[in-house]
Amino acid sequence: MTENRKAPRQKILIVDDSELNRSILADMLGGDFDVIEASNGREAVELISLYGGKLSLVLLDIVMPQMDGFEVLAKMKEKKWIQDIPVIIISSENTSQFIERAYELGATDYIQRPFDTNVVRRRSLNTIMLYGKQKELKGLIEESVYRREREQSLMINILSHIIEFRDGDSGNHITNVRKVSEMLLNTLAKYNAKYLLPQYEISLIALASALHDIGKITLDADYLNKPEKLGKKELETVRAHSLRGAEMIKKLPYASNEPLVQRAYEICRWHHERWDGSGYPDGLTGDEIPVSAQVVGLADAYDTLTNKRVYKEAVPHSKAVEMILNGECGAFNPDLLEAFKSVAGTLQTNLRLSSLEDI
Amino acid sequence: MTLENFYEIIGGDYAGTKSRFLTDERIARFTAKFPADESFSNLEKAIAENNVEEAFRAAHTLKGVAGNLGFTALFEISQTVTEILRGGSLDISAHMPELKRLYTLTVENIAKL
Repeated sequence: MTENRKAPRQKILIVDDSELNRSILADMLGGDFDVIEASNGREAVELISLYGGKLSLVLLDIVMPQMDGFEVLAKMKEKKWIQDIPVIIISSENTSQFIERAYELGATDYIQRPFDTNVVRRRSLNTIMLYGKQKELKGLIEESVYRREREQSLMINILSHIIEFRDGDSGNHITNVRKVSEMLLNTLAKYNAKYLLPQYEISLIALASALHDIGKITLDADYLNKPEKLGKKELETVRAHSLRGAEMIKKLPYASNEPLVQRAYEICRWHHERWDGSGYPDGLTGDEIPVSAQVVGLADAYDTLTNKRVYKEAVPHSKAVEMILNGECGAFNPDLLEAFKSVAGTLQTNLRLSSLEDI
Repeated sequence: MTLENFYEIIGGDYAGTKSRFLTDERIARFTAKFPADESFSNLEKAIAENNVEEAFRAAHTLKGVAGNLGFTALFEISQTVTEILRGGSLDISAHMPELKRLYTLTVENIAKL
């Protein structure tokens, strides 16, 4: 029992109300599997929920006391177990509606009684191999998609960080703004359904948020690193970074119709606009400001407040939240402020966690 | 008694069972377990209690087990009874004596194997 094996043995659950039938099936499968047994539907559901994806196959009888095989299938469908655990129905019922119903409920295959050793063994092995391959491929695809996404967003973060680096910020501004924007977008629709966005749109805005300050590359580093209060002229020059950034995006010789590029343009140009029209560069009001820029604007304000800059000290989290809600960083969309209030409690923990993820 | 003789006496299908079970050893091993199977006594008990649903399940299981072991005569009579019970009727008295006779015959002869 304790011998070492290269791979764990495949686990098969046999569900049949007759002990004799279960032992015939187990014997026909051969000694290469780890067989567990249930004598009715209820026991089967308990075991499936206990072992989950560790089960390679379920051989399921239909007519049983307590809970029958159809009910087991329905439960597996409801709990989405049927997507990962293949089920072969074993029954002496052979009317076509009966078989059709089992397939409709998600059974992979059907073995008719009386049991035939080769049929039981071959169908079980084929089903296990098919599902195993599928699981393996699914894992490979997920892994490569995940890596690609990670590397892409890492590239964007590195390049965007170069700009932040120039104004002496060596912290996590880019990743923080992204995380806060994402949290706000995921919450905002609760307060106003018109802001309900599909998940890919939320990811797109979060990704594009990294570019919000690219216009700062056109500024003289002396301005950025000046500890004293800026004069009117200097302030105007610094404020021009939003328009500069938008122009840089607009002048891209390619991909101008890509949603990512469009979101990046909105964010660069309008992340300093404010709800009451007091922002810059265009003095837009209300929903004239695209939601992408509204959200990134608030995230930018929060993260700038809570971190040290050459011209200011860091403000503690609770104080920063209070200042934003009080309108000390300019007016924001009231729905957005509600969303901000609701995520404020978990903001610090989430930012700490996302900085550990190093993307 | 050989397995072949046994199947002949109880009205079973030795050749078919052998083709499904592949070895005599396996047939003998599971045939020996048949007397311990409770579906026949469950059927009698359910009939005594007028419980059609339970009787149906027991007859159904007996039919399945008999079918798997190639006990054709017992399988066929269990099937007849199962179908009557499936319809919700307990009117199986015409078939029960024959079912009981075949069941007893099978169990008695398994002891001689």
